[in-house]
Amino acid sequence: MKKILFWIGLSGLFFSGCLSGEKDVLRVGMELAYPPFEMTDTNGTPAGISVDMAYELGEYLGRPVQISNISFDGLIPSLKTGKIDMIISSMTITEERSRSVTFSNPYSKAYLALLLNRDSPVESVEDLNKKGRVIAVKKGTTGHLYAREKLPSARINVFDKESACVLEVVQGKADAFIYDQMTIFTQWQKNIKTTRAVLEPFQDDFEYWGIAMRKGDPKLHGQVNAFLLEFKKSGGFERLAEKYLSKEKEIFESLGIPFFFSP
Amino acid sequence: MRLSIRQLTKYFEGKAVLDDISLELSDVHSLAVIGPSGGGKSTLLRIIAGLLVPETGKVAINGREIPVEEEYLRRYRMTIGMVFQSYNLFPHLTALENIVLPLQRVHHMGREEALSQSGRLLHRFGLSAHGHKKPALLSGGQKQRIAIARAVAIRPSFLLFDEPTSALDPEYTSEVLDVIEELREERKDLILVTHEMGFAKSVADHVLFLDEGKIVSSGTPSEIFENPAEKRLRVFLDKVLKY
Amino acid sequence: MGKHWYHCFLRENTREAPPRCPASLLNALLVGGVLLTLFAFAFSRLEYDFHWHGVWAYRSKFLQGLGMTLVISFFSLFVSFILGLLFALGQKSRILPLYFLSRYYVEIIRGTPLLVQILVFFYVIANAFHVHNRYVTGVMILSLFAGAYISEIIRAGIDSIGQTQWETGRSLGLTRFQLYRFIIFPQVFKRILPPLAGQLVSLIKDSSLLSIISVSEFTLNAQEVNAYTYSTLESYIPLALGYLVITYPISHWSKKLEKTFAYET
Ligand SMILES: Nc1ncnc2c1ncn2[C@@H]1O[C@H](COP(=O)(O)OP(=O)(O)OP(=O)(O)O)[C@@H](O)[C@H]1O
Ligand SMILES: [Mg+2]
Repeated sequence: MKKILFWIGLSGLFFSGCLSGEKDVLRVGMELAYPPFEMTDTNGTPAGISVDMAYELGEYLGRPVQISNISFDGLIPSLKTGKIDMIISSMTITEERSRSVTFSNPYSKAYLALLLNRDSPVESVEDLNKKGRVIAVKKGTTGHLYAREKLPSARINVFDKESACVLEVVQGKADAFIYDQMTIFTQWQKNIKTTRAVLEPFQDDFEYWGIAMRKGDPKLHGQVNAFLLEFKKSGGFERLAEKYLSKEKEIFESLGIPFFFSP
Repeated sequence: MRLSIRQLTKYFEGKAVLDDISLELSDVHSLAVIGPSGGGKSTLLRIIAGLLVPETGKVAINGREIPVEEEYLRRYRMTIGMVFQSYNLFPHLTALENIVLPLQRVHHMGREEALSQSGRLLHRFGLSAHGHKKPALLSGGQKQRIAIARAVAIRPSFLLFDEPTSALDPEYTSEVLDVIEELREERKDLILVTHEMGFAKSVADHVLFLDEGKIVSSGTPSEIFENPAEKRLRVFLDKVLKY
Repeated sequence: MGKHWYHCFLRENTREAPPRCPASLLNALLVGGVLLTLFAFAFSRLEYDFHWHGVWAYRSKFLQGLGMTLVISFFSLFVSFILGLLFALGQKSRILPLYFLSRYYVEIIRGTPLLVQILVFFYVIANAFHVHNRYVTGVMILSLFAGAYISEIIRAGIDSIGQTQWETGRSLGLTRFQLYRFIIFPQVFKRILPPLAGQLVSLIKDSSLLSIISVSEFTLNAQEVNAYTYSTLESYIPLALGYLVITYPISHWSKKLEKTFAYET
């Protein structure tokens, strides 16, 4: 009898864990695979700039925060099906994405950059738009969308993982990998013998990162925008950059290349 | 048929299943091998059939020694007809194709000729109506008769039977034995392992009694069945003839 | 003795598929209806706006992907069957190096994830031999993968053929090749048809993993459309249906063959 009561109690706990406070928990989705923005610390707990931002936002709204680790191309579907309430995952605001979700005001700029194979004849992004050039991109990223739109003459190979794209360039299977400036910089440093990098911005316009939310919730949209304004004014972004990006910032400044995390 | 066995020994897992057997028979047409289970009868037959190679010793038939090298053994086997206890037929082929296959593939007979020869044999054994059937649809007796037809079809120099009736219901036994009897009357040479003592008595012109890997007795049917000299043979015959 | 009402849900013969008659048709429709209702209910609870037109614009991409999957699967089916056959014979071979090669092959392939095999094969092995074509490599690795399973299926099938069949065949003077060709394989093939068909279906679905080396087959193309349009379900539902359309004929065809090969009738 006691045993049965124990199991009933346990299952009760289990279910209440699933249900309790569904109303006010702020469920934030991100792919924890993009340090130092979205990553996990050595204990496996979410950490990084976006994570800190999410907790600050939760505090501002007076709601507890729950972080869900979701692969990048699953983020928008998760949002649309109500599994999460918002996406803070270094997501670039694009027209196409805006059709299915609503973005907050931008909170950061970003640039694309190129990782090139050492022996590839490519020097700039213009060289890529030719027959016979091969570009590796990560599925669903702005690099992917950029290549599809702006480099129609090249062959575009699409991968799930950033590491596969880098390997393609390292082995000379691809001329270039188009991704954000910071990743390209880190990967170039790691593969300095086999790769080169083009870090100078080549896009007509910057890319802007925003927080994505479901359409049709103007109250939340307003709150998030108000928070971003407040966070910027109080120097929150500088604090985060100091905490996570001080070394990168220094190197970029010494190279004379504009650094991208500058709100 | 002249059969000569010299110092034949076969081991299985360290145990001598045939233990230094020697035998000379100068003119035998149907040889029956009897003996208790596990005595080595099948082993001897399979060595004569070229399916097993003995550790030591030699077997010669009509003066020709059975080879040991696989390709020569295979050619030797082509000249022999063998019928096993059961599960003889190939289940995926019709009765007719079971007979046609070795003619066509091993003896390189044209398909037409193979078919007509197989058809004649089926007719002769009263199986014409069953040629198109797969083995699963045939009775045990019919299956064994097909197996015998297949063994005969290749015009073998002699025939080997390993207890061809022991897996059959008693009602089918006689139809199979009749066929063997018929073959003997045609003066086909045959060696037959059997538990049917009556049949051995009437059909064989020589009988071997094999026990624990040794030829305990060897003689004409009347020597073996009417005046058994050996004690072991008497005990065996008493046991099998009790009922 | 009158029949009870529940007899319209029962069948006499469980060895074969039910006959084509009103009762079984009714049951088929009933179960289909229940499943459809279940799906319909689940989807109706979904807070999700379907935007089919976005995906419809990419229909040629779906078709290209489907075509590529078909081509890759076809070649892989062919090559994997041959590999399976050779390695099954290797496992049965009297030549020890062949035997060990076959055992190692089967154990390594079956013991490691396909994902890792694809990555290692493409980025390490094929690269070392200067094979850079990802389609050729893709077919090779898929064939190697499925071949290991097929070789085990064939080997088990060969082992299941009774010793007397071998002995009878040998006693008739068949060569080893003829034994396999005329006696063993025809029987093995009938026995292994169901697991073989299952393996072929798996192979077609496993080909989707080639997307990780950017082979633009059906799954990758659907994922790309998803990435362009953010219409996940609209991309993946056609994907599931597409796979069903190519795998179903295999199951159907194998059932038919099974019937043809049944010796009993
Ligand atoms: N392939 C084999 N491996 C191991 N032992 C074997 C093998 N074949 C036969 N034996 C053993 O050899 C002995 C003789 O077997 P054999 O089949 O020759 O006897 P048999 O006289 O034909 O008996 P039965 O009347 O039961 O058929 C038996 O003890 C049997 O267990
Ligand atoms: Mg025996």
